[in-house]
Amino acid sequence: MRRARAARLAAETLAFLAALLAAPRAEALWHALFPEVARPTFQQDSWLLLLGWHLVLSLGAVGLAALIGIPAGILATRPAGRRMRPLLDAVFSLAQGIPPVAAVALALPLLGFGAAPTLLALVLYAALPVLRATVSGLESVPASATEAARGLGFSPWQRLRDVELPLARPVLLAGMRVALTLSVATTAVGAVAGARCLGTPIVTGLANANPSYVLQGAIFTAWLALLLDRALGLFGAPGPAGTGSPGSGAAQP
Amino acid sequence: MIRFDGVSHQYGALEALRGVSFEVPAGALCVLLGESGSGKSTLLRTVNRLIEPTAGRVLLGGRDVAGIDPQALRRGIGYVIQSVGLFPHRSVAANVATVPRLLGWDRPRVEARVDALLEMVGLDPGAYRDRRPATLSGGQAQRVGLARALAADPPVLLMDEPFSALDPGTRRGLQVALRRIHAETGKTILLVTHDLEEALVLADRIAVMAEGRLVAEGPPAEVLGPGAPEAVRRMVRTGALALHRLAALPAAGAAEDGPALGSPGLPAGATLEDALLLMLAHGTGSVSLEGAPPRHLSMAAILRASAP
Repeated sequence: MRRARAARLAAETLAFLAALLAAPRAEALWHALFPEVARPTFQQDSWLLLLGWHLVLSLGAVGLAALIGIPAGILATRPAGRRMRPLLDAVFSLAQGIPPVAAVALALPLLGFGAAPTLLALVLYAALPVLRATVSGLESVPASATEAARGLGFSPWQRLRDVELPLARPVLLAGMRVALTLSVATTAVGAVAGARCLGTPIVTGLANANPSYVLQGAIFTAWLALLLDRALGLFGAPGPAGTGSPGSGAAQP
Repeated sequence: MIRFDGVSHQYGALEALRGVSFEVPAGALCVLLGESGSGKSTLLRTVNRLIEPTAGRVLLGGRDVAGIDPQALRRGIGYVIQSVGLFPHRSVAANVATVPRLLGWDRPRVEARVDALLEMVGLDPGAYRDRRPATLSGGQAQRVGLARALAADPPVLLMDEPFSALDPGTRRGLQVALRRIHAETGKTILLVTHDLEEALVLADRIAVMAEGRLVAEGPPAEVLGPGAPEAVRRMVRTGALALHRLAALPAAGAAEDGPALGSPGLPAGATLEDALLLMLAHGTGSVSLEGAPPRHLSMAAILRASAP
């Protein structure tokens, strides 16, 4: 079952890569779709390079968001930090409330062009789902398990490491999956700041009235987001709707 | 072994414990009996410092627990709770091994200990070691909970309503297992319950709590005697206390010499309640007590023994 899904995912990944490699040579196809466009295929950059940068940016951003969001979520669920929870939630919500395009634009004067303002915008955007997933994951841990851990003599750190985080893992991973899908889809705005990514053809196409570029960039961005979401689902992170995973066994009532 | 010395605890305006003092002797199985909100669980939790008294002291083997590091203290005390609290992500064996691992025992010693404990609580190690808690019944889960509490061989076991969530048959089985384990290991056990019958089945000593105070403490037959506190009388139907008290009195104490021919036999360790039930079941006025020399027990002897 799992093996079959893995095989299908591998096939889809190969199809994606093949389409990406074939993109610059698919002149006939894009010409048929957009006959008014003189040069319908994006040739300015290697698609593989754009894919590589896109992945670096989006995975890096989720990594950074996790470095901020998970400790914040842990803090918000400790007795000492519980009072900070509304504040943390407000700050992270505000950060996500800034449209990534605006965040990129606002960060330009400070961070210059390229990857840095893009990363900042993506981290601001992805930190909230990570924080929320950490908090709800930790809150889903059965009170009986934490009480037993206390009574058996776990230190607070051991309780967190050995009981709370392992039990929070399915919910936490589901949140990370959401954050990563959001991040991959959103990374395209980095092109506005000159960061090379799968958004580059979109921005170039918008600037040059070339809808063929826009469509190609959009297709590959969305396709990548879907592929990654599926891949994470395969490696044990349950989907937002609880699409099932090994190890999400029913908790003891 | 455990001495409560003027222990009080205040949650805001609520006085949960009001100056409780008594001692649980080493090796005793002492039941803390009381209704919900009587303070019995709060008192239990002062022993392993899950709750700190706002006044008074708790002494464990002569040492004030307030002076012992809470984590070290808890690793040295077995703890069983009503909700069991097995770690759902770990196997039965890993659950049982929790405290030995925290204490840094080496692997062969931990594994041998886990198997011995599963045997002790009546679970076949081969069949249960690798199971997940979610696959266990309530009674099996609490047996594992008991094994986990005993894993590091602590001298003291604290049990907070351990069997209250189980159905009557399963509860009975665990009570029998606990009595046997207590007899085998000689642990000092402090067990909280609101169930008078459970207290009678298990206890060497009963401490009755009401409104944060200790209202009676002593051997069951004494606590349930004619001077039984109101808190105990409220737990049973009017008049039923005398019947319950029979369960706290050994049949051997009221037996008379000589055989009672043709009457049903009663096992040596039985109580007066068992004797009465046997008489009712057979419609006879006497039973013979198994063992040598032959002795017997009559209805009149039961009445005499239960009289104040």
